[in-house]
Amino acid sequence: MIEVKNLTFSYSKDKQTLHGLNFTVEDGEIFGFLGPNGSGKSTTQKILTGILKGHGGEVSLFGQDISNAHGPEFFQKIGVLFEFPYLYANLSAVDNLNYFASFYPREQRRDVGELLDTLEFKPDFLKKPVSSYSKGMRQRVSMARALVSNPRLLFLDEPTSGLDPSGAVLFRKIIEQERKKGSTVFVTTHNMMDADLLCDRVAFISNGNLMALDTPKRLKEKNSNHRVVIDYLYQGQRETKTIEARSLEAGIPFAHNEIISIHSQEPTLEDMFIQYTGRGLS
Amino acid sequence: MGKGFCALFKKDCRMLTSGKFFLMAIGFLVLYTAYVNLGYVRFMQMPPYNVYLYDPTGTQTEKSPLVQTVSSMEDMDAALLADTNGVGLDASTGVVQVVLYKGAEHVDRHRADYALSLLRPSAGSPPEIIRTNTPEQKARKEITCELLFFELVAVGFLGIAAVLFKEKGMGVIRVHAILPLRKSLFLLSKLAVFLLSDLVFAVLLTLLNIGLADGAALLPAVLLQTAILSLMMALVGLLCALLLKDFRQFTLAYLVIAIFGATPVFLSANTSVKFNWIGYHPFYHIYMSLKNTYFGMAVSPIYYVGAISVIVLLFLVVQLAFRREIGKEG
Repeated sequence: MIEVKNLTFSYSKDKQTLHGLNFTVEDGEIFGFLGPNGSGKSTTQKILTGILKGHGGEVSLFGQDISNAHGPEFFQKIGVLFEFPYLYANLSAVDNLNYFASFYPREQRRDVGELLDTLEFKPDFLKKPVSSYSKGMRQRVSMARALVSNPRLLFLDEPTSGLDPSGAVLFRKIIEQERKKGSTVFVTTHNMMDADLLCDRVAFISNGNLMALDTPKRLKEKNSNHRVVIDYLYQGQRETKTIEARSLEAGIPFAHNEIISIHSQEPTLEDMFIQYTGRGLS
Repeated sequence: MGKGFCALFKKDCRMLTSGKFFLMAIGFLVLYTAYVNLGYVRFMQMPPYNVYLYDPTGTQTEKSPLVQTVSSMEDMDAALLADTNGVGLDASTGVVQVVLYKGAEHVDRHRADYALSLLRPSAGSPPEIIRTNTPEQKARKEITCELLFFELVAVGFLGIAAVLFKEKGMGVIRVHAILPLRKSLFLLSKLAVFLLSDLVFAVLLTLLNIGLADGAALLPAVLLQTAILSLMMALVGLLCALLLKDFRQFTLAYLVIAIFGATPVFLSANTSVKFNWIGYHPFYHIYMSLKNTYFGMAVSPIYYVGAISVIVLLFLVVQLAFRREIGKEG
């Protein structure tokens, strides 16, 4: 779906923003692009969505070089959720969606009412202007805007930003449903939980360089010390022991009356990010 | 493409309606029409100065009905004290003497000549009348032209910039960058809405203030000039809105254009004030073309070539600025 080879970009002659990125995103994959502010994430996404021109290297989407694929046909196939909910504040959710949907072929469009219903949008606000909506409601309308054209490739920038926990769960479920329908999803996020729960593979970017690319599971496993922490009760006392995970194959290798919990000492995705890039995400 | 343009056009109309732009335009139309019909035309028919004559022996037998006779020099002093622009004529000694409060020298001469001419209204040769406009028609055409020019330069320019600043603020320009439409349509739809609105305004202003028969005859040429000025100002408004950071910065640019840009043009075109450099002022040529149109005079083809070139150039620059804005925001 997306193929990037040696991608470079400079905003000015003396400052290179991207230093030769290489990655591919497969059809039907949810791909996470993680990096701190100023790392080159947005620049990469701008190039992939055809907004920014003048890059070096090769970028192809849908098997076509991006430099030659900027006609309406290209934009009909992509949907973009921006970091902020960009909507006409004086229009209602329905009017906004009908307006943005009107640029796509009729047979490609989804039903606006149904879409808002899926996103659990409050029906009382359907006809009210966006200026009266909460941040979460605006994010739902923005997500509906990105999905209204049934895109084959979805770019999502901080999709769960501004949502409460149940909203975030709903969004992750919807993104998963889109993938099941055959869409490819490119997620740019700071949210490690989103990346961990949603993405098939994640790429870490820092200072315009790709530092790591793999599945969240493998990234964590590669750097795991393969130990487990066991909480247990023995002779009425609560105790904790850290042992090699492999030693569990033969059962619990110490005396105990009751096991309370067993936790692996696997690092988090954020730990991995810091390890690979030397920087935090915020 | 056609469907996309219609969607953009409809949305722009909604933006202008919600921003009360059309209401404002109707308000201006009513205001201008009331000013022309109830104020300006009547004012232009008034004599320029009141003339007071003290003639105890009745020597001035041919005097105009516009001359007001006073019964004593004290009465004349009182009248001139109340009306400092008035002119007094003292004919008590047999020789007419002019009495007035001193102002600017050339104006005082004009006042004196005017007052003396009222004593012999039939004297002198009648001036040659050029064209067929009556003084009222001339006044109506002049003021309608000025008001239309002001509306297009100041109000329309402000309107288009306000809409674009609003869209910039809401971030929706960024969304248009990833929609399947030709990016130039985003600009073209705005130009079309403002052009249409300006053309309707020009039609109504011309017909209401010049009259149906006279106005209708002038309309095709007036609409052509309106279209040229409207497109130019809308493009300048778009450019300012794209390049400037916020509406506050725009207000400053607006003041520069509306005051420093338009004032010398009005002064040069409508008064005896002449600036040597006015020929280099683009607004002067645009204004004079509009004025010539109202008075049925031909406009040079060179002007049209220049105007179309400027519009094309401005459109290309605006498109560049728009793409830069999309890249910046997106």
